[in-house]
Amino acid sequence: MPGGPLSSTAGQSPADVALQLEALLGQHSVLVADMMRSRIRNDADFAQAASTAVTRNTDDLTAVVKAMFGDQAAAAFRGTWSDHTTAFFNYARGLAAGDNAAREDARAQLVKFESGLGDFFAGASQGRLAPDAARSALTQHVDHLLRQADEYAARDHDRAADDYRTAYSHAFGIGQTLAATLLPPAEAAKLDQPSWRLRSELDRLLGEHIALAVATLRAGASESPDFPAAAANLDKNTDQLTAAMGALFGPAAGTQFMTLWADHIDALVGYTTAVAGNDGAGRQAALDKLRGFEGKLAAFLGAATGSRIPPAELASAFLHHDQMLTQQVDAMAGKDYARAHELAYGAYQDMFGLAKQLSVAFGETVTAQLPQGGAETGAGGAAPR
Amino acid sequence: MRWRAVTCAALAATAVVCAVIAAAAPAPVPAAPSSEASSEASSGASSGAALSSEASFHSVRSYADVAEPVRLRIPTLNIDAPLTHLGVAPDRTIEVPTDFAVPGWFDQGPRPGQPGPAVILGHVDSKAGPAVFYRLSRLPVGAEVLVDRADGSTVTFRVRSTQHVAKTAFPTDLVYAPTLEPSLRLVTCGGAFDHTRSSYVDNVIVYADP
Repeated sequence: MPGGPLSSTAGQSPADVALQLEALLGQHSVLVADMMRSRIRNDADFAQAASTAVTRNTDDLTAVVKAMFGDQAAAAFRGTWSDHTTAFFNYARGLAAGDNAAREDARAQLVKFESGLGDFFAGASQGRLAPDAARSALTQHVDHLLRQADEYAARDHDRAADDYRTAYSHAFGIGQTLAATLLPPAEAAKLDQPSWRLRSELDRLLGEHIALAVATLRAGASESPDFPAAAANLDKNTDQLTAAMGALFGPAAGTQFMTLWADHIDALVGYTTAVAGNDGAGRQAALDKLRGFEGKLAAFLGAATGSRIPPAELASAFLHHDQMLTQQVDAMAGKDYARAHELAYGAYQDMFGLAKQLSVAFGETVTAQLPQGGAETGAGGAAPR
Repeated sequence: MRWRAVTCAALAATAVVCAVIAAAAPAPVPAAPSSEASSEASSGASSGAALSSEASFHSVRSYADVAEPVRLRIPTLNIDAPLTHLGVAPDRTIEVPTDFAVPGWFDQGPRPGQPGPAVILGHVDSKAGPAVFYRLSRLPVGAEVLVDRADGSTVTFRVRSTQHVAKTAFPTDLVYAPTLEPSLRLVTCGGAFDHTRSSYVDNVIVYADP
């Protein structure tokens, strides 16, 4: 059992570690879904690479648990968590083989593991997270991942895409709940402050952008029939990101951001189409569009935040982001799935550094314009006491 | 670059993890027996239709703006009033409604239903008697607060909590600071009345969520 409250690691506050937990749980959901899907379509090479990525995520999660609770708790967590990811793989194997007994056995294993993990986190929270609530959240997590696998196998790509996205958001939300309950109360209160909530929500949206963009581009690179569903999913993330920008900086900024962001996604899909079609000119044209986008979005965000983030720095970050995504497409097209997963993993992790920097700049920009002090909303002296 | 440096450090750390994984490489993934699912996937793996859908894809570009709020309704308190607009006064305090029967929406923050905290203020009373938010401090947890918008839509919030706080310690961050979760704050005056300043000592803040 865990031995103590969340502590800081080198260079990171406990709240930083808690946000890392959120991000890793969201990533876990996506990586497991990808692994299950590759197993369902009998793509052994991809499944091998996906399995390695799941293991890397488990290692990173275990490191967070170790930072929180020490070596013994980390070892206990890793064992159960690894068994839990293996059971997802076994479920997909049963699904691919049409072996209902294997599926049900895997499902039963998952129920058992989720119960154990629920008890682990409830114990770690030192009474702040009820065991039933922890088990219920983890059971929903299992349901989402099994359901998307069933739907994917049944070629119901729209529903599978919906559940892929729901599974990500839910797993990220489990991370938010765990973060709030595993931290000592004083640190948990920090997470409830607007600046940390803004950062956590930006983490979720930008992490989801990476996850859904990678899913869309992979579907495109392999000319898979689930491309339209994956792309529609990506549109939903774009809607949410745009809504956030509109709320923060006004409708005109929202409209401008959406145009830039859509150009970015269209260029990435254009690049993928060109690679899949072996169209060198189309590939270069897409890269040229991406280079244009990077500067324009950096200038837009620099202006929106009063240059709190230097545009040159932002442009460099977006260039790196786009390069990881396009190189990931190249790796997929070349069937170098290990490289594709490595790039996608790095692109996902990169987003959280960007989200941190953006959330600080956004928060400072908006806060500087806010009214100060209380409101003079009474004059009679007869208010009810 | 600050965040890039952090990322590179993280990547360096994960490279070590990767080396560990490589050293203890997982067992190769066994191939699945042939099945309908696998044959479906392989048959779809080079679908001309899919390539066509990529070529015709265009990212969403229609920004779905949330309409401005025009009316506030709180059935529990029999409040049904039009909304006026409020901004920031020259002294950096928030403007307040000029009409004691009409609440006001702080129009430099989110619109109700947009990501973030929308703020509506109303007077508790005037020298002539009770005003629109006279009974706001009595609004129970769970009570419905409805905001009608200019496009005919309505967004419903439910009261989560109520806070009485000295104006000198007004929690600007909790009321106004940006988050991406849609929420609503209702603000009025309360507490003791300072007759020398003709001003209440406290503010009452109602926090409501969709």
